[in-house]
Amino acid sequence: MKLSHFIESVKLCLHITRRNWTVYKKDLIANISPTVADPALILVSLGLGLGAFLTNVEGMSYMQFLAPGLTVATALFTSFFESSYGFYVRMSFENVYKAMLATPIGVKEIVFGELFWVGLKGAIMAVGVAIVLALFGMMTNPWLIPALAVVGFLVALPCGAMGLLATAWVRNINQFQTVYSFVIAPLYFLSGIFFPIPQMSTPVRIVAEFFPLIHGVRLAQSLFWERDIAQAFSYSGSILVIQSIVLCALAYTQIRKKLIN
Amino acid sequence: MIQANALEKSFGDFKAVNKIDLNIKKGECFGLLGPNGAGKSTFIGMMYGTVQRTSGQLSVFNHDPKTESRDIKKRLGVVTQENALDESLTVMENMMLYCSFIGVPKQESEARVLELLNYMNLSHKKDALIQTLSGGMKRRLVFVRALLGKPELLILDEPTTGLDPAVRHLLWGKVRELHQSGTTIVLTTHYMHEAEVLCDRLVILNHGQIVAEGSPQQMIAQHTPGYVGIFESKHRELIKNLINNRADIHFHEDASGIYLRTPTLAELTKLHSEQGMIPLQIRPANLEDVFLKLTGQELSNEA
Repeated sequence: MKLSHFIESVKLCLHITRRNWTVYKKDLIANISPTVADPALILVSLGLGLGAFLTNVEGMSYMQFLAPGLTVATALFTSFFESSYGFYVRMSFENVYKAMLATPIGVKEIVFGELFWVGLKGAIMAVGVAIVLALFGMMTNPWLIPALAVVGFLVALPCGAMGLLATAWVRNINQFQTVYSFVIAPLYFLSGIFFPIPQMSTPVRIVAEFFPLIHGVRLAQSLFWERDIAQAFSYSGSILVIQSIVLCALAYTQIRKKLIN
Repeated sequence: MIQANALEKSFGDFKAVNKIDLNIKKGECFGLLGPNGAGKSTFIGMMYGTVQRTSGQLSVFNHDPKTESRDIKKRLGVVTQENALDESLTVMENMMLYCSFIGVPKQESEARVLELLNYMNLSHKKDALIQTLSGGMKRRLVFVRALLGKPELLILDEPTTGLDPAVRHLLWGKVRELHQSGTTIVLTTHYMHEAEVLCDRLVILNHGQIVAEGSPQQMIAQHTPGYVGIFESKHRELIKNLINNRADIHFHEDASGIYLRTPTLAELTKLHSEQGMIPLQIRPANLEDVFLKLTGQELSNEA
């Protein structure tokens, strides 16, 4: 009885995921371009530009240093935008969920179906970007590329949940800009993507530890540089799992308040 | 089939639904009427769990929507107030998606969608993007969506608001057919004529409470029996003099003219034959008169 309910619920979640994929693939090129082009652009401009001055960062070129973080940043942006602007538009402007809630689908299936989609997108994007970067010769062992799917998924899930929380809290769509400026942008710049984590000021680093990005960066760096992989996954990997569980559960309770009166 | 006892829903201090008792039977076409904000949509939401009641009891198919909404939702179809169609998908994609939500077996989905599109005269639009459909087509498509699961209970939340008369009549025909084939229907509407045409029984809600209940004919007989004549405002003084002290004649004036409701048709024709007043219209009293009277929008008969 309980199990059959659970299986039914999972199936419905996957239908939500499939719905998003159906919509997404209609504009595949437009949807993928920024997520792949932006990291490539940063790599070239910062990596080559700044790289001329920074010739030795942690024993490597600045481009090589930058590469792993950029894959993780892609997962952050793709998941946050999808679950903030994307979800908000579907919820408040298109009323998509209102009609869905009149079918056997409940809020749980909507939220977890969306989050699974966001996780999947994060995984695919991280792998996509890693392939591009590997072609630039940024990965010591390209066979590790599939493992970046795990990193992308584990970063996108909690970051997507943060996007959903923002969706539940903002009063109009413009307020996402505040969330972006004060949460997402600082995460992007202060999570060890652009300069080594050990060189961050301690208070900043401690705060950063509570957010998913820095852990994702550690995982990606371990894979790109083939350094302490097991250690990174056991520490940062478990923290990401915990953050995912907490944030997703929180996101569910908050979105529920928006969809059920 | 649907049973409500002392059902209540508050939003803060505001009681959207205030202690309602209702019993909707299987096979019935039941109307919920009331002004904007009377509690119609709140009641509908409570039926399938998107609104959680504050107190009282509610059961639909003997399930409690608060805890067993999925069991209920498997057996009903909803024509939502907003179309809420997936604008980025085609007609077919939209409907196939909903087939999967409802659990229509994969091999049957396409045939069922095509059959219903045909039923709603939409077959030629199956590959069109939603954005390209007219308002009437979108509404018909929402009917298709609501019918995909072959529901026992069909909820129509303002199904024809904003539609042209041709589409409205088409949809009324379809609703009648579904009703005749045994589907239970719950309808909310602002169009009294629609309720009169479709409903076996209805309630009028005002400020979250039921102010009248019965068949359209019963309600008219009970609350506003007789005939209504509409006259030009220039006859005001004459009419007032004539109906002076007649408690059985109701007088109401608004921008469209003077409304007189009399127990018999003869009273109205007399005004014409004896006073030479030509009425703009004479008709039997209808549900609109009941509605205006009971929702406090008709003036008192002290003219």
